[in-house]
Amino acid sequence: MIQFENVTKSYPLGTIALEDVSFVIEPNEFTFLVGTSGAGKTTILNLILGYLYPNSGTVIVDDMDISSKKSKKIEELRRHIGVVFQDFKVLQDKNVFENIALGLSIQELPIKKIKEDVREVLNLVGLESKEQYFPVQLSAGELQRVAIARAMCGDRHIILADEPTGNLDPKTTWDIMKIFKKVENTKTIIIATHNTDVVNSMKKRVLVLKKGRLIKDMKKGGYEL
Amino acid sequence: MKEILTALRRTPYQSLAVFSSLFLSLFLSLLLVFCLNFLYGLLGYVESRPQVTIYFQNETTETSIIGVKNDLEKTGMVESVKYISKNDAFTLYKDANKDNPLLLEMVSPDVLPASLEIFAKKPAYLPQIADRLNRVTGKDEVSFQKNVVDKLLSLTAVIRTLSLGFFVFLMATTSIVLMTITHFKVALKKDEIELLRLMGASAGYVRKPFMQQALFLGFVSATVVYGLFAGVLFLLYPAMQGYLSGITQLLIDLGPYQLAVWPITPLYAGALYMGLTLFGMGIAAFATYFATHKYLAIQRN
Repeated sequence: MIQFENVTKSYPLGTIALEDVSFVIEPNEFTFLVGTSGAGKTTILNLILGYLYPNSGTVIVDDMDISSKKSKKIEELRRHIGVVFQDFKVLQDKNVFENIALGLSIQELPIKKIKEDVREVLNLVGLESKEQYFPVQLSAGELQRVAIARAMCGDRHIILADEPTGNLDPKTTWDIMKIFKKVENTKTIIIATHNTDVVNSMKKRVLVLKKGRLIKDMKKGGYEL
Repeated sequence: MKEILTALRRTPYQSLAVFSSLFLSLFLSLLLVFCLNFLYGLLGYVESRPQVTIYFQNETTETSIIGVKNDLEKTGMVESVKYISKNDAFTLYKDANKDNPLLLEMVSPDVLPASLEIFAKKPAYLPQIADRLNRVTGKDEVSFQKNVVDKLLSLTAVIRTLSLGFFVFLMATTSIVLMTITHFKVALKKDEIELLRLMGASAGYVRKPFMQQALFLGFVSATVVYGLFAGVLFLLYPAMQGYLSGITQLLIDLGPYQLAVWPITPLYAGALYMGLTLFGMGIAAFATYFATHKYLAIQRN
């Protein structure tokens, strides 16, 4: 479960990124964060990931209160969170298999288990034939699949995606969204997006942000600003 | 091992710079340690020789000489005093010149003086003992190695101080060079480190490959330095043996133990290699730890 309770976050120069935001996201819930640029979508994702800490209010993820700046639990928490970035952040000097295995090797699992888990997730994202390819040999859509596979691999039950389809054409966008749909009942998925079509057609929970405030929380909503 | 070698191959210039820096420092350190050990061994050897010898006039009685011996032992400054009677001196003389019958014919026990050989507890006591002996009635001559011991003592002190200063400078320079190179390597991997940290990798996990590479280079540098040093020593060994022909063994005190530093024993050679390897790996690990430390803290804004 992810819980925000009266969370306010401002940056050093005084910009208020979030103001008094409260919501609860249940386990295995699929949620879209929508809003214009600067509305606070990425700030929410960063607070969940422990990259930021709130100026006031409480952020609880997996029963861990990570509101304090000196929280000791961040490393442990991050091992349960998968992150998908708009620019993929796929390592160029590692092949597909090695990129996906990164998250598993952090947990120092046996090689056999790593191989099994990586192949399972490669099947899920449809890259089973390209595990030895290097990033330069892949298309943008395939790179994003690698990033998603990396985020989903292992014991990561919360998936945060920041504009995962921002750099992709419509067809690839739908291929990517299909991957998220495949795991929607087994993982908590939070996607920050500007993509109107995706949000409208998926009919999932939508949190609408405007100038740092949560202005709408729709159970099966569409893209509204 | 394969991962370490791959990582080193991917950053050849940085790896070579680390190796060169470690090589230079370890070689100079080994040279310093070897020379200091040798010098301490030599000092111990000189200290183990009779340090003050008093020769008595012919008419001095054995009772008087034993009285002088007893007085010296009561001072607390001497380790031991050995009485060499005229007959003992003659026996020693015969042994020393057994190959020269002409010299033996010319000498009888009456010609040789009785003497006391005195070993001081500390070299610093030597001048006081010599002064005391110069006042003894019936003495013929006091032979005192003051100059040799003093020079060796002051030389050892100077070399020790200079070595320590040089050693500290060397280590500081090496650490800074290694830290700078590792900083550079870490900077090249900044994206990967950032990603790993976002995925929950511990600081130890991220630091591990850098540490492994540092330890490997420390080990290789130490081994190469040792091999080279051993080669040079092997070439110089006959010359050193000739120069030190009168010295059967040089020992250094290691608390309850004594280690022979000359002739070079397998134990001493092994101890030098072990110490050098641990030192090389230690300094490489130390520099790497501090170079990576800054990048591994979880930044929360």
